Amino acid sequence: MNKRSQRGSRRPVLGLLLISTLGIGACDFLDPTAVENPQTTSEDLLNAKNPTTSLLPGLRAEFARLMNTTAVVSEVVSDNYSIHGTGLFKEWDSPRRVTPSIMNGTGDATGLYWHTQELRALATFVIEDIAPNDATALAEEVAEAHYLRGMALLIASENFSGAPLVEDGPLVPAAQMLDLAIEDLNAGASFGVATTAALARAYRWKGDRGAATSAAQAALGQDGDFVVLQEYDAVSIDNTPWAFLVNRALQEMQPLPRLDFLDPKYLDREQGIAVAKAEEMHLILAEVAMAGGDMTSAKAALRNAITMAKSRGTATFSDGDERLNADLTIRPRDASITVRADASSPYRAGLVRDRNGASITQNVISGTSLDADSVAALTTADELWHALHLARQEILFLEGRRMADLGIRMPIMLDEIDANGTINTGDLGTNPVVPAYIPQDDEMDLYSPASPYDDGGNLIETQVTIQFDMNRVLTQNNVTPFN
Amino acid sequence: MDPKRCSNFLLALGAALALGAAPVAVEAQTGTVVGQVVDAQSGRPLSDAQVSVPGTGRGSLSNSAGRFTILNVPVGSRDVRIDLIGYSSQTQSVSVSAGQTATVTFRMAQDAIALEELVVTGVGQETERRKLSTSVDVISAEEISQIPVTSVDQLLQGRVAGATVNAQSAQAGTASLINFRGVSSVFGSQTPVIYVDGVRVDNSQATAAGTGGEQSSALADLLTSDIERVEITKGGAASTLYGSDAATGVIQIFTKRGRPGETRLTFRSEVGYDQPELKYMFDTPIAFPDLVADGSASSTFMEDNFWRTGTSVNNYLSVSGGTDAMTYNVSGRIQNEEGVQPKNESTIYAVRGGLQANVSEKVTVNASGNYTRSSYGRLFNGTAIADPLTTFEVGDALFFSGADDLDEALDVFLSPDINEFVNRFIFGGNVTWQITPSWFAKMGTGLDYRGNQQRILEPIGFTPGEPTGQLTRFDRTFTSFTIDAATGYSWSSEDGNIGNDIAIGGQGYREDLSIISSTGTGFALPGAPDFDQAADITSAEFNREVFSGGVYVDETLDLWNRLTLSAGVRFDGSTAFGDEVNVETYPKAGVAYLISNEDFFPTFGTVVNQFKLRAAYGETGKPPSPFTKDRSFNAVSFRGESAPRFSNPGNEDLRPERTSTVEAGFDASFLNNRLGIDFTYFDATTTDALFFVPEQPVTGQGTQLRNLGEISNKGIELAWSLQLLNRSDFAWSVGGTYQTVDNEVTDMGGAADFNVTAQKRVTEGRPVGAWYVGTPFDSNGDGLDDDSELRFTGGQPTPTSSGSFNTNVRIGQSWSISSLADFARGHQVFDWGSVWSTFNGIYRREELEGVTFPVRHRLDGTEAGKFSQSAARAAFIYDGDWFKWREVSVRYEVPERMANTLKANRGTLYVSGRNLWIWSANGLIDPELNGLSSTGAASLGSLSLGGESSITASVPRRFRFGVELVF
Repeated sequence: MNKRSQRGSRRPVLGLLLISTLGIGACDFLDPTAVENPQTTSEDLLNAKNPTTSLLPGLRAEFARLMNTTAVVSEVVSDNYSIHGTGLFKEWDSPRRVTPSIMNGTGDATGLYWHTQELRALATFVIEDIAPNDATALAEEVAEAHYLRGMALLIASENFSGAPLVEDGPLVPAAQMLDLAIEDLNAGASFGVATTAALARAYRWKGDRGAATSAAQAALGQDGDFVVLQEYDAVSIDNTPWAFLVNRALQEMQPLPRLDFLDPKYLDREQGIAVAKAEEMHLILAEVAMAGGDMTSAKAALRNAITMAKSRGTATFSDGDERLNADLTIRPRDASITVRADASSPYRAGLVRDRNGASITQNVISGTSLDADSVAALTTADELWHALHLARQEILFLEGRRMADLGIRMPIMLDEIDANGTINTGDLGTNPVVPAYIPQDDEMDLYSPASPYDDGGNLIETQVTIQFDMNRVLTQNNVTPFN
Repeated sequence: MDPKRCSNFLLALGAALALGAAPVAVEAQTGTVVGQVVDAQSGRPLSDAQVSVPGTGRGSLSNSAGRFTILNVPVGSRDVRIDLIGYSSQTQSVSVSAGQTATVTFRMAQDAIALEELVVTGVGQETERRKLSTSVDVISAEEISQIPVTSVDQLLQGRVAGATVNAQSAQAGTASLINFRGVSSVFGSQTPVIYVDGVRVDNSQATAAGTGGEQSSALADLLTSDIERVEITKGGAASTLYGSDAATGVIQIFTKRGRPGETRLTFRSEVGYDQPELKYMFDTPIAFPDLVADGSASSTFMEDNFWRTGTSVNNYLSVSGGTDAMTYNVSGRIQNEEGVQPKNESTIYAVRGGLQANVSEKVTVNASGNYTRSSYGRLFNGTAIADPLTTFEVGDALFFSGADDLDEALDVFLSPDINEFVNRFIFGGNVTWQITPSWFAKMGTGLDYRGNQQRILEPIGFTPGEPTGQLTRFDRTFTSFTIDAATGYSWSSEDGNIGNDIAIGGQGYREDLSIISSTGTGFALPGAPDFDQAADITSAEFNREVFSGGVYVDETLDLWNRLTLSAGVRFDGSTAFGDEVNVETYPKAGVAYLISNEDFFPTFGTVVNQFKLRAAYGETGKPPSPFTKDRSFNAVSFRGESAPRFSNPGNEDLRPERTSTVEAGFDASFLNNRLGIDFTYFDATTTDALFFVPEQPVTGQGTQLRNLGEISNKGIELAWSLQLLNRSDFAWSVGGTYQTVDNEVTDMGGAADFNVTAQKRVTEGRPVGAWYVGTPFDSNGDGLDDDSELRFTGGQPTPTSSGSFNTNVRIGQSWSISSLADFARGHQVFDWGSVWSTFNGIYRREELEGVTFPVRHRLDGTEAGKFSQSAARAAFIYDGDWFKWREVSVRYEVPERMANTLKANRGTLYVSGRNLWIWSANGLIDPELNGLSSTGAASLGSLSLGGESSITASVPRRFRFGVELVF
């Protein structure tokens, strides 16, 4: 790495002061004015031999951070997880209470807005400032940069109702960010199935049935059982959800009891988070078919998704998590407990695992409580829509999707509002967007009894009822981008 | 490079050193001067008076009978001068004949304000206090010898008007937060710049990896042994000549170099014990009431199993003396302390040498060297998870340890080993050339090297940390190099009515800081593994370099020995300044008027004795952190690649903060010089205040230091002393200090409000770090709190006023008793321990003080349980007023004949106590503890305001018993 050396000769005043004061300026080895910034400066970068190649790992690392924070924030804001202990903002359990101040974090867990912007800005720097002047830049490197910027814009459009895209710029609505994401993803098409799958995801949000179908089929055509994972390392950037799911020093994230069987999913700190996978393509195809009234195709696609999910890898894991609420009472942690999704649903077994330290087999890519046969037996559109929403929730669990699927959007960072003169509190994007069908406060996370155990830790109630079945709520409110 | 010039310079330097090693010969024709020093009013003999024969290099100290003997005084008419703190200096002429003894008696008049005292800090050359237009505080060796402290930060506590000095904790190696005249910056440490014998030294308050809220401080190894004198300027015009570095004030320490005369050997041996201060510890009845109730835990579990009586052994030996040509002082010290908490210990070895050589009639060489080796053992403390004290006081001990009972839990929390070693060298030297009686030139240089190595071993099974074991190593190396040169010329009219002093000088310093930290995790086997046995190793490195330098001119015009006009200017540059910023200019001007010398001044008999008015204007600076001017990128390792991202946005206009101070006041003595008052009003405005301003997140850039803000500090400083009784067999004096500070951010410069820690806010119209916390409120007007939002409490973490009282009693010739108490008020403190307790359903203030924790109501008025701790943070904010009986010291000087039986000239026995008693407005936390949790060793430019701490051990009650023998 080139270092910038700011010798005394660059600072004539300092040199003059020293010489005039001490009279020893001729002794270079005694020159105390030479300092060297240990970080890479702009001047150093000008001297880099392959700046595009050098900066791309930075974009990849930044995308890893973005996936981390998306997986944490989306899961805890939604019904998937609730927050206990001190490690995360409790306000995220009550999405209407989230403020720009809460969103002002820049960390790997809390910086959802920050990382969408940092990745987009860093990619823009490479695409617009570095690569055009870098004769050594390769087309595939530029395509990757476009893919990563497209992902930043796509995730921004999924999770925020608006955001500025240039310094001092106006708030750009989510729909426009989605269009820009699609532009970038098309520009990065040569990057491979990850881009194609991202296009399918983006066209789904856009509600473009044809384009979404084409992209989803194209992705499956490229690789019928693909999984694009964002991998981590244990040294610098590890899997952030893992810290809250497995390490659980402060019992931060606890799953909704009917999703207990999917937790913790990330069993070690290097495990990858799925960015895209074939199951999602099948789910998109099912959703398009449902929106078009083609229940037969929808069922087939949904069965494909379920079959694919169940074919994914598993790992054994010894989980002794105590499943504690914030008040240290015990959440469901015995396999003998049955759970119903709301008061009008049937109790289902097998959703809660024994958490006593015994070895369990855990899905690490996809898992679902649905099975292909039960999907075949569904008769009404509402039942199928419900199954589709449940399948998306379970198969894309802990991948940063549920909050967007519920229609919830977070406010942007307070720093952005404070520092940008064109943005005022109350503008689009500065407040959370929470549809009216979302229950109040943290009711999405509630169930009864809150603890089916007595003070001695003995199980005293084997049936648990979730207060709201959010998949029923989504079904009743016809929530799909294809409407 | 010009090798020839370079060689010439080094040859010249070598020649100067060679000259220093060749003292001039002693004159052959000499006599002896003997005498006695007594108090003029009471006739009481005065000990420890400095006796000197100017121009001969000869001198001595008076003994307990006030007597002195000076051998080998050159024959002829000689002046003998006496200097003693609290008295006007006095000179008498004696005629010294070869082989004869001349006798002289000095009857010393008290001088409460020491206008003749010479001061060097903040002025171009030695200047009488009478001529100073600013307030400069001085602590003398005589005072230091009476004060039962070991480090410089403790020395300042309660003794400097305008200084706030708050202890950090009981842990070894930590030091106090020092602040002069309020918080003038929101981005960096408020600790004053410190010079030791002209060498700018490390003053960092956080020099090791955090093990909770408390960190070791570079101030802890600045020992009080061998200090001749400390001069303190608190910013403003008094600090202007230190330029871009002096807005927070300057502490200048001068060490002993010995005096001509017979070799003097001083031996001091001290033992002692420490008692833990348990006033703010509540043990298991609060933290584990269920266990106490069912009998499975003792109600005094911590008192029985954790707290202990600390011990201390401290031995000191010095040899000093010299000839006309050369004086020296060499000393060594060994100190070992076992703290009041388990695993708390410290060992200090220090050696020091200072010498002064008169290499010719005109050239004097001074040199000093100091080596200190400190080793510390500590616990995790001031944190929430791994800390035995906090977990046991807030009820988390079983939860975080995974233990079945408290004994087992305590074993877990005491299993980590946290050790630190500090090696510190401070070397300095200077040459003064008195070219003519009126013209001098001097040059000095020196370096401070401080290397500390910290090793934190969390053994396998230390559940709160890394269960597979973790080893953390933190190595920090600090080096500073200081060089300065100056010349001065003095002139006075024949009638003495006009005096003129001018000095021109330059100074530069370079600092290099390097930190390497490594963490290894995953050990297969127990024991004390090395890094190479770890499954995973991560390392980080941090480097910082900066050079700053400047030149100054200082002019003083003295008229009729009563009116002094002074002016000066410093020009500064630094590698930390932005590329568009060249030289910063700091002017100063002042006037001092000894109005009591005027005939028209009413003295009301002896009621008013001396009255000096003074006023000054001066500017000082505070530099930005090095390299924050550059746009930069930073990379981390990720999956085998170096992954860069944006780091510092860059600011080519980055310049130092500028503090402009207007101050005015008086030094006055009354009642036949028995009452002395030093009063100052100051009004300081910091412009170009540096804020870490977040860039718009859309840029992907982080925060950038920008010169945007304006901060105001106004206040008064009062120091007073009163001799109540002054008889030959009994003397009693009292004194004190009092200061106020009105701190306010007056302009945010367009920057958005921001927090300096989680709950301390910077906003226009409020003090820096005003508490800004979750506060319950009533949203629907039914009189019941139903919602919460962040609100200002109206309070601040730093005291608005503070002060001290002291008293000194002397009984007969042998007994002396001194005592000091200090206080602070007007601030609020935050109790993190009670926050942690709420997670266990423990509401400590309810239990201990009966103050109900806020209850949330629904909009229909029904109760919905207590507010969450984050929604009701206001309930953890308490009145921070405190008063502490800080120290008492009783000294007994044994009769001379008894000392002589031990072949000693003098013998002193002493007993001292420190941190004896506390009153505080709140009963839950010690409000003095400052909890440095917001700082990090590598997070430069971090502001520490104090005022918040987790469960932290107070500085213990210390009792020391010592004997000092002088041979």
